[in-house]
Parts: sequence; structure tokens; C-alpha cells
Amino acid sequence: MISLKAPWRIGVDVGGTFTDMVVAGADGALHVFKVPSVPSDPAKGVMNAVAKAASDLGLSEAGFLGQCTFFAHGSTVATNTLLERKGARVGMLTTAGFRDSLEIRRGIRPNPWDHRTPYPEVLVPRYLRRPVAGRLDTHGRELTPLDLDQVREIGARFRAEGVEAVAICLMNAFANPAHEIAAAEILAESWGGGWIARSSAVAPIIGEYERGSTTVVSAYVAPRVVGYLQELEAALAAAGLRHKLFMLQSNGGAVSVGQIAERPVNLILSGPAAGVGSMRHLAQVSGHDDLLSMEIGGTSCDVMLMSGGRIAITDELAVADYDLVIPSVDIHTVGAGGGTIAGVDGAGMLFAGPKGAGADPGPACYGLGGSEPTVTDANLVLGRLKPGVYAGGSVTLDLEKARAAVRSRVADPLGLKIEEGAAGIIRLVEQNLLHAVERISIQRGQNPRRFRLVACGGAGPMHGVPVGRRLGCASVYVPRQAGAFCALGMLHSDVRQDFMDVHFQDLDTLAAQPVETRYRALEERARSLLADEGFAEEGMQTERELDLRYDGQQWDLRIPVAPADGAEAIRAAFEREYEQRFGHLVPGGRILITALRVVGKGLLPPLAEARMPRAEGPAVPVERRPVFIDERHGMMETAVYRGGDLLPGHDLPGPLLIEEATTTIFAGPGDRVTVDAAGNYLISFEDREGAA
Amino acid sequence: MSAKTGNAADPVLLALTQNRLDHISQQMGHVMVRTARSPIFSQAHDFTCFIAGPDGRVTAQADGIPIHSGGGGFAARAILRDFADDIADGDVFLLNDPWAAGGNHLPDWVIARPVFVGGRLVSLVCNRAHQSDIGGGAAGTYNPEATEVWQEGVRLPVLKLVEAGKVRRDLWKLLLLNTRTPDLLEGDLGAMLGSTKIGGEQVASLVEELGVEEALGYFDGILSHAAGRMGAALAELPDGVYEGEERSDNDCFELRDIWVRAKVTIAGGRATVDFTGTDPQIRGFKNSTLANTHSAVYTAFASFFDPAIPRNEGTFSVIDIVAPEGSLVNAREGAPTTMDTVFVAHEIIHAVWKALNQAAPERAAAGWAKNIFGVTSGHGGEGRPYVFYHGLAAAGAGAVEGRDGFNQIGHLCTLGGLTISNAETYERLYPVHFRRQELRNDGGGAGRWRGGTGAHYDVEIKTPALYSFRGEGLRYETGFGIKGGAYGAAGEMHVQEEGAALELAPKFGLKRMGAGRLTASSPGGGGWGDPKTRPLEAVWRDWRDGLVSTEAARKSYGVAFVGDPDDPGSTFAGSLDAAETARLRAS
Repeated sequence: MISLKAPWRIGVDVGGTFTDMVVAGADGALHVFKVPSVPSDPAKGVMNAVAKAASDLGLSEAGFLGQCTFFAHGSTVATNTLLERKGARVGMLTTAGFRDSLEIRRGIRPNPWDHRTPYPEVLVPRYLRRPVAGRLDTHGRELTPLDLDQVREIGARFRAEGVEAVAICLMNAFANPAHEIAAAEILAESWGGGWIARSSAVAPIIGEYERGSTTVVSAYVAPRVVGYLQELEAALAAAGLRHKLFMLQSNGGAVSVGQIAERPVNLILSGPAAGVGSMRHLAQVSGHDDLLSMEIGGTSCDVMLMSGGRIAITDELAVADYDLVIPSVDIHTVGAGGGTIAGVDGAGMLFAGPKGAGADPGPACYGLGGSEPTVTDANLVLGRLKPGVYAGGSVTLDLEKARAAVRSRVADPLGLKIEEGAAGIIRLVEQNLLHAVERISIQRGQNPRRFRLVACGGAGPMHGVPVGRRLGCASVYVPRQAGAFCALGMLHSDVRQDFMDVHFQDLDTLAAQPVETRYRALEERARSLLADEGFAEEGMQTERELDLRYDGQQWDLRIPVAPADGAEAIRAAFEREYEQRFGHLVPGGRILITALRVVGKGLLPPLAEARMPRAEGPAVPVERRPVFIDERHGMMETAVYRGGDLLPGHDLPGPLLIEEATTTIFAGPGDRVTVDAAGNYLISFEDREGAA
Repeated sequence: MSAKTGNAADPVLLALTQNRLDHISQQMGHVMVRTARSPIFSQAHDFTCFIAGPDGRVTAQADGIPIHSGGGGFAARAILRDFADDIADGDVFLLNDPWAAGGNHLPDWVIARPVFVGGRLVSLVCNRAHQSDIGGGAAGTYNPEATEVWQEGVRLPVLKLVEAGKVRRDLWKLLLLNTRTPDLLEGDLGAMLGSTKIGGEQVASLVEELGVEEALGYFDGILSHAAGRMGAALAELPDGVYEGEERSDNDCFELRDIWVRAKVTIAGGRATVDFTGTDPQIRGFKNSTLANTHSAVYTAFASFFDPAIPRNEGTFSVIDIVAPEGSLVNAREGAPTTMDTVFVAHEIIHAVWKALNQAAPERAAAGWAKNIFGVTSGHGGEGRPYVFYHGLAAAGAGAVEGRDGFNQIGHLCTLGGLTISNAETYERLYPVHFRRQELRNDGGGAGRWRGGTGAHYDVEIKTPALYSFRGEGLRYETGFGIKGGAYGAAGEMHVQEEGAALELAPKFGLKRMGAGRLTASSPGGGGWGDPKTRPLEAVWRDWRDGLVSTEAARKSYGVAFVGDPDDPGSTFAGSLDAAETARLRAS
């Protein structure tokens, strides 16, 4: 029987295959539960996880939920609605003359060379995009009044067409929402439906294409997403949960179901963005806040960078080629995971990815009909994974099937031995991982050597150490709950709402024309929403940011500012950041303010730090088996440990494997694995100068 | 070892080396975007990073605009030719001239850094990038009135810009004196030097790790592999001679047809592209240099086949090009050529596509309409100068099997990589007010797959300004149809000075106006396949969406509709006149 100290927090991450739950007791002790997801009814997966956790903890469901003070959930429901095109029938109100920006897409295509792939289907067909007369200029001044009668007619048309959700995006509405608000009021009457997304509320940015696209996606996912969440919240309440259900947003912060209804598009990265909470937690327990994370699952690897405790937020993302502008954790994703398929092309070149085998058929060794070799097959051939029961019993790994796939698709065509072929696959995929991490650091002007690499996700800890060593990272860190990285992060996610106001002003005129009133208005909105979420004044925090650019450039840097900062202090902060990112400055250059931003946070009290008992004796491996290390060392007899046997104070030389419930950690000769006070694994490179 | 990949001993190391070189060239691109000053690089990505071997052949070019494809080898080989025994560690070269130094057009400058390992030259790590201003007769590198290269900017032979690690200050000052924007040029050259420095260090460490001999073997293996991929793609085509031609409709001074003619011979997994019969070079700046002609041909081939085929000089080693000197595709020294990356590139790509379309009809690509738009420049708020591209008037692309043409897309030579701005952004930046940017009715070429529609465009310019006209596609339809598909509509353009009537816009040259207005209907892309085989539902959707009129549905697609397409609740079954449609489609 596991004992749990009340009150506790619960984080649930619903993935494609598994639903992960992490529970943190008042003493900081963490417990992980994993159940299969139910893709047809994700709420059922959540309730199954609740039932499993309650039963393992020896509690009733009502008892388990009743003592929970914070229940956070990450869900792919918004993403899947978009990917599967299962959203609402949307009508769109546009400005006359600009009916088609949604379909023109600014001509953006992710890979120009691939001109044969069509755009994804436009979410609102042209006949449901209805133009209305009325025009604002770039400063929000009215040039032509909104034609209210026309709006009324359009509402009637939407009703006749069976429109289920409406998106409103009028020209220059970022500068003045008046026309959009007026239109929304009329449509509420003449159309009569419930879901209206207005661009000035969803994403008040400059740029009619991206603002409109974001607003349309929000309308498109709204009925299904909000419906699902309201049902889940009701089910949890009925089962005994006494607090609100909180959802993880793309910005890495949490929000209540009630407040997400206005902008459900903000759930689009709901799962992976929770990694931010984990990074913050790991920074706190390890005292190291320069972290690069590499979370590897079955099909892809997500890379994030935390510098000095800050994680970059970006505004631009594309999901299934739909362009969105919402505040999102900056995650770089590459197609490299356990299920990544390797092969040899028609002219004799080995490749690995970007295609993956998915969950079905999955790697060849799953025996579900896959015949193409994957990274998991290669790890099995090399002895890094063990044949037999795997991933908590959900699959069984068949070594012969893995060998056959590697032989026929890679080793034979290249004239290599099976093990050489498997090692080649691993080297190529690890090079791709290395490139992904190099890319995110070099784009920010950061040197990866300064960072500690956090290896997580089910497949991350197998490849983290070789990649970290090659990158020249100071060390590699593997959280004990590596396989439930996002669910863990949810327990540490503050409530967060982002607000912005597009505002152009020369920075040097700040003293003469202060922006205090505009900032106060944004802060007022933030505080009022946080109060509705149940936070008292002392539990709220608002942060101000400015979007700034050198005049003439078309991209901004976001700089944190304090209310007392004058133009000079802000210029200095901008120049510091600019030089870091771009390697040069424009001395005395004219700096333009382009937007004011406020981040409103409802702060969760930090969890107590878990205390694990210290190791009292040496760790004993459960077995030793031959494992392929690398091209220099070849096969070596390697100690295999069970994660549960390793406690703070244990200090082990590589090569070794550590088998945890949800992941396997691999370290080679010259690597040293220690268990820290929090129970996590720190891997350092003994032969690296100045190792930290 | 695999016989297919030449001197590469270990197939795993071959794959790792190719993957690494591609990554290094991409990383150079990130450094460039991150550190350059001019918005050309971060906004339009008008540059290319590439890595050449010690013989000047381009081994990796994973990042860059299509119209630079494979053309870097001309520059690398010019350096090897001019400085054969005089290349040392720590040197960096600079060039731009098309005749003296393997340039593609004057605004694209190449920085090339030789990489030495163990005293041996193993690579030239390069960056080709469009500069903000290089002197010449017009600010911003494009001089539509140029009749000779000297009116287009400063000509640079292969120069040693950095000698033994020291920048030559005299040369540096000379360069800055020959631009209207010395700050931008200085910053951008610095970014180019920085990106090649990081690339050079990483190539050196890769070669050290592999060993020099082995590394050079792998470089060869990478080129052989790419040649194998493109060779296999060509071998699938039936051997034969295929011809294609395309015209430009003015020489920048008068309206006349100027033809590019390409004879493509496919034989045994190789191709020869012979431009014999192409018209002589012209007075204006739409002449192509040899390097640009090669890049345009490579763009045509690479975009025609599987995009997964690498795009290094090995790929293009199975394609031979014959470009007669003094013709439009290989202008003699002294000719103006700045516009060549857009026009003649568009005509070359079309001519080659038309030839390849016959060889592989299942991959056939219909024509992308030419962009009609030009540039307006003037002085805005506080008297500050502005240069405004009418990019919101972009044309439609041609269809291919499986998709309709993109309705509005950037230049063909970028394969649409150059994107269109938001109207709101431009209203904030420039003294302009947009009235309209909307898809054209009946603009796209009819076909089983429809061509892109093009757009109606209408903008007010609130200050007196200078209008430069250098587009094409106003005289004729330019988005050709294929396999029974039709041409897209031709473009139209008008200008109107405040208080005056709307008048036809000039097709070339400059026009000065007071505050006024420019309207256009941009041309549509070509259709693919017989329009009478387009599924009825697809025709109905276009009709309902107002992209195809009732008359055109009947005439071009053989589909009869009744009622008003804009009626709420209109349905396919309720609008289709099935009997009449059957009759029309049977005839």
C-alpha cells in the first residue's frame, strides 16, 4: 500500500497511447499511474486513471478526488479536432474587399520545393465567408461605419446555412474592437447560435491572415472542446472533486474550463507545453536553471530551452499547416522517436525518419505486422532493450523480428552485419537529435555547452547521454518520472493568462506620452480573471512586457519591463537581448514599441520537496548482459539496474542500463551516474574538462 | 561497401557526413538570419549557404532560395581558377560579377571561405546573398532603365577580402563607398563572414574527425549518390527529344515577343538542355547570365521530380546545358541582367517544364502566371523614404495532378518561398490604404485540376510617388494549361492620379504621379487536364464560391447550373441541371 499525504495535486496528460497521471502528496512524494488512452472517449481515459490511482492508493474515488486541491489536465482534444477535421461548421464575417485572406494564406508553404502537396482544406468555404461594409484605419479610426443591416442579413444567412460557430475578423480590429463587438451583438440575435469568436478577443495582433486563421480555428474547435471539458468537469465533480478543473494551455500555464471557453484555440499545445512546469520543477530541485530538454516519444522529439530560468514564448505556430498566433511555449519538434523508420534509398543512402511506424503496426519487434526497422528495433538488436515484456506489459518485444527487419531493409542493402546496420540507425537518429538541440540553441545565440540536457519521454533517456556528450553539454539529467514528463509538469503550472495591446510608439517619447493607463487596463483585466479563478491579491502576479523593434525591421523582441523603467533602461534591456540574439547592435538606432503585453499569473504554492531515503548499501545490478556501446567500444558486458533499487547517494560508473517503469537509461564508459537528493539521475562525463 | 556511392568506404559514415553537411549549411542560414541587418534576409530569405568541395563542386546546399540552386559552383570554380596557388588558411573571397567571377547577377554577392585541414584545401564554405544597395542607376539594386551592366552597380571580380585572417581595410572602404546604404552593407557582409566562419569551423572539425582522404571520399560519395538519384529519375522517362518554349512580352523599352527555346534530350538517364534557337539578348535588364540559366534549369528539374532528391551539384551533373553566347540565356559581358532571377528565370523554367511535361505527362506541371506587379516609392510620414512592393497583387499558380493551383503565390523562381504581406501590416508601414484583395472570378485556367485564380487588387497611395513597372503577364495569358487544361486569364492593371480618370498602366518603365491609386486583376495559373472531367461537385463548389461563373461552368466545364449561386441554402442537387450537363459533357 502506498501512503499519500493530504492534501494532494493531480496532473493528467492524455496522450495518443497512454494516459499518464502524476499525484504529488503534501510531502512532495510523487506517484505515477499509467492507463491506456481511450481515443474515442478521452474523458473515459481520465476517469480510468482516477479509478486506477484511487484503487492503488487504497482510497475510494470520492476520497481520492475530495482531498485534491489542484487538478490539472492536458488534452489533445483541440489538436485532434483540427487534425481529424471534426470541428464545427463555421461562418466567418470579414470586411468587404478582404473576404479571401483566410484562403490566400499569404502564399505561405512550409517547403517550397514540395509544390505538389495541396494546402489543407480551408476551414470556412468562401460562400460562408461573408463580407460586410465598414472600415477602420490602421489606428482604429472609423473610415466607414459598419453596415448593421448587412450584419443582420448575414446572421440570417448563417442560420439558414446551419452554421454552428462564427468567427469575426474585421480589418484593423486589433486597433479598435468596436466594429467586431457591435457585429457580435447583432449576430447573437440574428444568427442565434452560441459560439462567437471575435478576433479582437482571441488574438488581437496586427495581420488579418494570422488573426483570422487563429480566430477561425478557435471557433472551429470550440463546440467540441468546450463540450468535452464541461462533461469531464461535471463527471469529476460528481465523483468527488471539490475544486475547478484546470486545463494546460499552449503558454505553459493553467486556466479553468470556464475561462478557456472564449479562446479554446489556446489548448492547441495543451500536452507538450506542460513540460515548462517540469523544467521549472527540475530547475528548483537541482539548483540549475540553464536547461535544454529533449522529450522523445514514439514518433517525435520535442526540444525546449530554459535560460536563466526563463522559457521562451513564441507567437507563431502551425498545427497541421493551419497558422496560429497564440502565446506558446517555443518547442522545436523533429521526427525522431522510438518508432522512427530507417531504410536505404534507391541510390544506396541510409536514412532514418522523418516517417514513423506509429502505434500500429509500430516497430517490427512489436510483432503487429510492422516490417520496417525502427529505432526501437535497433536498440533491441544492440542489447539496449531486452526482449520480452515492455512498456508495462502493453507489448512484447521479439528480437528475431527486429533482426530480420534490420537485416533485410538496412544491413543487407548496405553490405553490413546486422549489428552494424542497427548501430548505423542509432548513430543517424542521434545525429538528428543533436542537430535539433543545436538548432534551438544556435538560433537564440546560446552555446549548448553551458546547458544541462534533460532527457525525458519514454525514449529520451536511452539517447540523452550520447547526445549530451557529443553536444558538449555540462551534464545530462534524467528525472525519475521521465516517462510522465508532461503530467509531472502540470503539478507545477501556475494559472496564466496573456493579454496584449497593439500600440506603436517611438520608445524615446515614452516620458512625454506614458503608457501607464494602457498597462493598467490590461492588468485590470488580468486581475479580474484571476479573482474569478479564486486567487486572492497576494496570490496574483502581473508581469509587463514590451514588444520592441528597431524601426524598419519587421520582427519584435519581447522585453520584460518594470513600471518604473524609463526609456533609457528599456533601451538598455532591448540592446542586451538584441545583441545576444543577433550578434550586433544599431547604436543609437530608433526603437519602436509595437505592443504592450501583460502576463497575469495565479501562483500555486510550491510543492514540498520530496525526501527519499539515502542509499545505505551499494547498488546491485539485476543482471549483466552484452550491450553495443558505440563504434569505438563495440559490445561490452554491461550492468543492468532496476530503478527502484537506486537511491540518493548511489554513484555508478558506466557502461550501464537502468530500467525504470516507463523508460530505460543508457550510459557508456566514462559516464558517471549519480542519484541526487530528489531521486533523479545526474550523468556527468568524467573525461570532460570542467564537467559540472 | 556499396558500388553505387563511389569512394565512400562506410555507408553509415556516408549518411552521417551528408546529414552533417546539410545541417551545417542550414545552421549557417540560421546564423545569417540571426545576424544580418537588412530585412531581405529574415523576411524574404534571399540568400543561400552552400558548401563546395576542393574542386568547386557544390556538395551541400540544404538552405536557400530555389533560383540559387547549384549555381554556386560557378563562383567556387572562379575562385579556384583565379587564385589557384594563392589560397591560404585565413583568406576569405568576395565576388559578384557574372562574367569575371561566376556571379548570377550583380546584387547577389558571394562570400567564400576556404577550409584547410592538415595543410590541404578541403572545402569552400560559401554564402550568396542579395545586398540592399550596390550603387548603380537606381536605389535598391533594380534599375529598370539600365541598358548596360555599369548602370546596375559595382562589378567585383574575385577579391581577397580577408587575407591571412585580416580584413583588407582598403577594399572594405571601397565597397562601402559604392553603396547608398553602407550601414546595411557592412552589417550584412559581417553576417556573411560570421556564417561562413561557423560553417568553416564545423566542416573542418568534420573533416578532421573523418581524416582528409576519407572525408574527400565521402564528399564524392555524396555527389555520386545524388547523381544516382536524379539519374534514376531521368532513366524512368522515355528517351527522346522534347521541346518547350516561352516568351517574354517586352524588352523593357518596347513591346515585343522574346523567346526562350529549350530542346531537352533524354537519353540513358541523362538530360541535355539545348537553348539554341533562343532569341538574342535584349536592351533591358531581363537578360540571363550563365550561372542564373543553370540555376533556373536546375530549379525546373528539381521541382519536377521528387523533392526528396538532394539538390547538390551531383544531382545536376547528369544534366548538360548548352546556352549560346549572346542569347537571352547567356548574355555577353556588359549586358544588364539584374532582373534575370525573376524574368528570364520564369521563362526558362516554363520552357523546360513544357519539355519535361511531354516526357512524363503524369508529373506534368501547368504554368504559373507571371507576376505583373512592380514597386512604388515615395516619401511618407516625416518625409521618410519608402519602397512599397505591390505583392498583394500576386498571381495564381498552375495546377498539377492532385491539387488546384495556389490562388495567389510568390514568384515561380522562389517556388512561392517569397510570401505575401498582410494588408494591415502595409497600412501601418506605408502611406497606403487597401480597398481590395480578393480572388478573381473566372481567373484560373479551367481543368480537371483548376489553375490558381489570381486576385482583384485595389490600393490608394496617399503621397506623390514614383511607380516602377517591370512585371509581365499583362499582354498575354502566362499560366499555360496542360493535358487539355486551359490558360489562366491575363492580368490587367490601371493607375489613377487623384482627380483624374483611371488609365491603363504602362507595361514597363517608370511613371511619376501625385497621390493616386493602382488597381489590378492579377493573372491566373494554368489548368491541368480536360475541364470536362472535373468532378461535378468540384465545379459546383467553385460556382457556389463565386470563382467560376455560370457561363464559364457551362462553356469550359460543360456543367449547367440553375439559380443564383449566392442563394443561402443552395445545394448541389438543387443547382445542377443534370440532363443539360450530360448533354454538354457528351458533346
